[in-house]
Amino acid sequence: MKKLIDCDILNKEITRRAFFKSSALLGGSVLLTSQIDLAFGNIKNAEASVYYSLSKPENIIYSVCLQCHTDCPIKVKLENGVAVKIDGNPYSAQNMVPNLKQNTSPSVAVKIDAKLCPKGQAGIQSLYDPYRIIKVLKRNGPRGSGKWKTISFDKAIGEIVEGGYLFKDIGESRYVDGLKKIYKMRNPKLSKSMASDAKKITEKKLSINQFKSKYRNNLDLLIDPDHPDLGVKNNRFVFMAGRIEHGRKEFAKRWTTGSFGSVNFFEHTAICEQSHHIAYKQATRQYSNGKWGKPQTEQMKPDALNSKFVVYFGTGFAEANFGPTNMAAKITNRLAKGEMSIAVVDPRFSKSASKASKWLPVEPGTDAACTLAMIRWIIVNKKYDKEYLKAGNKAAAQKIGETTWSDATHLVRIEDDGPGKFLRASDIGLGETELVVVNDDDKPEKVSDDAVFGRLDYAGSVNGIKVKTAFRLLKEQALSKNMTEWSKACGVPVKDIEWVAKEFSSHGKRVAAELYRGPVKHTNGYYNAQAIIALNILMGNIDHKGGLTTGGGHWHEDGSKPGQPFPMKLLNPYKLHSFGTKLTREGSRYEESTLFEGYPAKRTWFPFSGNIYQEILPSASSEYPYSVKALWIHKGSPGLSIPAANEMLKILSSTEDIPLLIADDIVIGDTSMYADYIFPDCAIWERWGIPHTSPDVTQKSAKIRQPTVTPLTEVVEINGEKQHCSMEAVMFAIGEKLNLGGIGKNGFGNGIDFTRPEDFYLKMAANLAYGDKANDSVPDASEEELKLFIKSRRYMGPAVFDIDRWKKTVVDSKLWKKVIYILNRGGRWENFSKSFLGNSGFVVHKYAKGVNFYAESVALEKQSFTGKRFRGITNFEPIKNAAGAVVHDSDFPLKLITYKDIRGGQSRTLPQDYWLSLTLPENYILINRKTAKDAGLRDGDMAQIISSTNTDGAWHLPNRIDKEITGRIRAVGGMKPGVVAVSWSFGHWGYGSSDVDIDGEIIKGDKRRATGLCPNAAMRVDSALKNAPMSDPIGGSVSFYDTRIKLLKA
Amino acid sequence: MNQRKLLMMDLERAMKKPVSERSWVMMIDVRKCVGCTACVVACAAENVCSPGTSYRWVFDQEFGDYPNVDRFFMPTNCQQCDNPPCKKAADKYAKNAITKRKDGIIVFDYVKFANNKKAGKAAKAACPYNAISYDGGDFYTDGTPKREPYETRRFYAYGELLTRKNTTGSIRACTFCVDRLDNGMLPACVTTCIGDAMYFGDANDKHSLVYKLLKESRWNPYGKLGTKPRVHYIGYARRSNIAFATNKTCEICHSKGGE
Repeated sequence: MKKLIDCDILNKEITRRAFFKSSALLGGSVLLTSQIDLAFGNIKNAEASVYYSLSKPENIIYSVCLQCHTDCPIKVKLENGVAVKIDGNPYSAQNMVPNLKQNTSPSVAVKIDAKLCPKGQAGIQSLYDPYRIIKVLKRNGPRGSGKWKTISFDKAIGEIVEGGYLFKDIGESRYVDGLKKIYKMRNPKLSKSMASDAKKITEKKLSINQFKSKYRNNLDLLIDPDHPDLGVKNNRFVFMAGRIEHGRKEFAKRWTTGSFGSVNFFEHTAICEQSHHIAYKQATRQYSNGKWGKPQTEQMKPDALNSKFVVYFGTGFAEANFGPTNMAAKITNRLAKGEMSIAVVDPRFSKSASKASKWLPVEPGTDAACTLAMIRWIIVNKKYDKEYLKAGNKAAAQKIGETTWSDATHLVRIEDDGPGKFLRASDIGLGETELVVVNDDDKPEKVSDDAVFGRLDYAGSVNGIKVKTAFRLLKEQALSKNMTEWSKACGVPVKDIEWVAKEFSSHGKRVAAELYRGPVKHTNGYYNAQAIIALNILMGNIDHKGGLTTGGGHWHEDGSKPGQPFPMKLLNPYKLHSFGTKLTREGSRYEESTLFEGYPAKRTWFPFSGNIYQEILPSASSEYPYSVKALWIHKGSPGLSIPAANEMLKILSSTEDIPLLIADDIVIGDTSMYADYIFPDCAIWERWGIPHTSPDVTQKSAKIRQPTVTPLTEVVEINGEKQHCSMEAVMFAIGEKLNLGGIGKNGFGNGIDFTRPEDFYLKMAANLAYGDKANDSVPDASEEELKLFIKSRRYMGPAVFDIDRWKKTVVDSKLWKKVIYILNRGGRWENFSKSFLGNSGFVVHKYAKGVNFYAESVALEKQSFTGKRFRGITNFEPIKNAAGAVVHDSDFPLKLITYKDIRGGQSRTLPQDYWLSLTLPENYILINRKTAKDAGLRDGDMAQIISSTNTDGAWHLPNRIDKEITGRIRAVGGMKPGVVAVSWSFGHWGYGSSDVDIDGEIIKGDKRRATGLCPNAAMRVDSALKNAPMSDPIGGSVSFYDTRIKLLKA
Repeated sequence: MNQRKLLMMDLERAMKKPVSERSWVMMIDVRKCVGCTACVVACAAENVCSPGTSYRWVFDQEFGDYPNVDRFFMPTNCQQCDNPPCKKAADKYAKNAITKRKDGIIVFDYVKFANNKKAGKAAKAACPYNAISYDGGDFYTDGTPKREPYETRRFYAYGELLTRKNTTGSIRACTFCVDRLDNGMLPACVTTCIGDAMYFGDANDKHSLVYKLLKESRWNPYGKLGTKPRVHYIGYARRSNIAFATNKTCEICHSKGGE
């Protein structure tokens, strides 16, 4: 009964508490109090008599989740303006197959909830996280100390822009350069000309002295006048995004590069799955007129609605990947009916593996060995699609009824140091830049526009030049070991490899090999991915029903299609041309740089990859290629999530390495707690975004994330516009102060203001509503739907929703009705039809291009430490550090891998979402039963992880106490002996897990948020780099799964 | 046609009939369960459960040893028994604190149970499925800077608008989301299931999907206890796709007599 009494005083208590705590800034906004009271149920209003209000369309706003990057369309259910329940959006092909027809009325759709994973369901708890911050915080002690004071938004912006002795009051005597000082280049015309001339220097078309003489009056703008290719001083500002997606990505990139003029805009992809993307990119570059063009795609997925057999490498359909909500039922329904089967290659017996016909517990980092073994079996047994592979170009493909073709028959020149360039027709006097095959008459033939078929397995010499076909190079790799040797290399029994190879080659085109992080988060990640892609190409399965697909694609939000109302890139007449070598040396060739001084380079150069997240902080610290003045960490936690994390934390805490560190976050996170200033960001459910869709979804899609509730963050005024504090607001405010181009008044050009988030995102929504071409638009919203649109936003505050202001940014009133039509549905999706199903034939949305076994550009590039060429064809390579030395660490007997439980993401989710931690309150050190026993460990024991570069097994948290890397042993049958797996999501020291001091008031941390462990601090430091983790020099991926460890009983 | 649409159509047909002519059953195909716990979260959110209260669990059980291992996911909730042991037990202390609706749904009287703790305790102990939990009045966000609105909001149970005040001190269990059903919506665990493992419908309707599935192979945990559950399990009768397990595996946990 005591409890009942507690509840009776609940309302009074909460109201009082909300007032107290909001002045202390955590725990929700005063503005919301009245709405929350309504939701408590005690205050009666007109709706209280309506039975089950969540089945009324006016209580629904569709948006898009971001508890993970799968970005599932969601249906947010509101009670008096408070989000109370989230389900899947039934209009979306991602949440339901078949999805609701587009013209279904929202009043019908409201009754149909579509699928959503547990993370998405728990979004309510990330939105209403009691540790959300709503006001700007400034550090009131050393970085990481957990001491803060609240500061007005305007004052914070003023300090960041102007600089000064910003931390004098806490005893730091240093002068901090403001953004004003970093924003040196301000002239769009000059930036364009300098950018173009700096490029000429790297192309050796212009000398440094010529450059210096031409720009003698502007040399102070450069980081180093003797190295103009490093770019301007603006580059000393770095924007480091953790999770940033389409919509926000374009917004932030436009601001960082075009408005502020820095080249240093980064995403986090290299700690995610970058090598997977890079391998697909290299495999899908098209050769024409003597040049390799842009990659055509960065990933493909099985057409799982129709596959007969799918083999998953280091991923699955039921956890993580991209992603379970759209994938799971496609597989489970067909598995239950016996229509398909799957195999899983993974050291861990995952949830997906539990549904597999075969589990191949591979040794971490040996995926290429396992795959080359399968390729060997397929080649030796002639189970590949010979007819497909013989077709050497588009015309040949068309002749045999295919939509894609490969380079299998194309001749590669064999140089003394290995395969090099493709043979060109001009090399043998047969033509110009065309590639060459040897045809069935044993004659060289150039790959012209006519149908060209070549010999597949050819090695010989043409006009005295030694050549081999790309297929031959693959075959040689596959046959370089026998099955027993391959089996030994990858730790999978020969019979299991053969079983999978046989199954993979027994269903025609309706098979696919799929990969995600598992094979690629290694120093050899690119080659592993390339091998798996090759396995697919051998079957010629791309575009075939049940084979590999690039997915349904999306309508274009950027306005790049003819007739679209808002061409976003063009609406930027005053943009700066940012230029120079990026801090991470990504996308640049060492040999072209003026920094070139032979091998080894000081740090790795990444000519093929981008978003090398793990190199940002170490490069800044090493000042190679230059030092950094200001860093903005957006929605990311590099101090937690990057391997060798102690190195990251050390740099983050150093005011010398990073003089000014700002962050925007929804909480005081594990990394943002090291910032000088934290700006509260809007949470996913409070803001905009235009994310793209997994290729697993074969229907064309366009999704719109939009505010569903009034944001909790404080309202600020910028350019005379009231809006909630967010990443965008900070950009507007800095823009206003520095008078940056491309943002603010006339930001889109004369007379077109860019002063609110929706000025950007609603224009994108308008492009989607218009469609990709004429007569592709959605219908106008009816009068009834217009009313519904307004009614469902009746509780939204004016700083987020103002119908007249929204309408104004779309300009055209006819277009506005179409925008409402898609906002009322959360996007637009192609209707489902039978054409998406079938036992044969092609997928609806085709790739219809060439694919490559051999990556010529990779083969010609040199590793920047060794100066030796990379290889164009996949191969099995050991784990190496930056200097190219093989890493052994044989004193450490166990291999460490990580994974994600479906309940956990990188942030938010576990353990902060209490509905999720209800069933998984902590994570474990997952280990094979026998391995545990051999190490003297039992199930339930606590154990500490140590490695060769973290011998004390601890997180060294600067200005805080160390935290041991300790977790509970879970001894199971479903782990490969000798491998240890730790799931992501746990082991926090920030994010509400520890006490913080704000304005002298202690906000107590929540122990439930501090459970479990994060193993990243144990992950290996690269011995050649000293302050960074190991990386894949081609794909750019950080090494997550190459660390050897020891477990000590704690 | 997809499973979800069929289930929606079945539901629409059923709701046109009087309550007394409906017979709700739930079916779970364990082959299709991927152990994600979306149902657990959807249920907790929909029904505003306290940290100690849950209507739905998913067990994750490994069998065997390396490399011949298997893993099962077993979702479970109140089986809405037609011969409910919980009712018999509770009646001894509080007559009709548990009643059966004509459509088969078990109804808990939160007032009676809050006023008679012994009745709740007895009902909880009597359930062979451990499907009943006690709402002790805890909130997930207690001890944090703020008790959040998703816990204090009003919600619906058995046709009534409630807050946690009304359930505190009582026992609680799955309601088959009766308030969603009354509004033409499938239960929250069924709609959110990413593996399509869940079925729901009217067993009296010969055209319904559940009617057809009931005719095929199915089993009930502890079926031999005579509880006459309304939740039925499908799966692992034909295991051609699944690597290592056998039909016998289920009996490790359900030794009291699965069908």
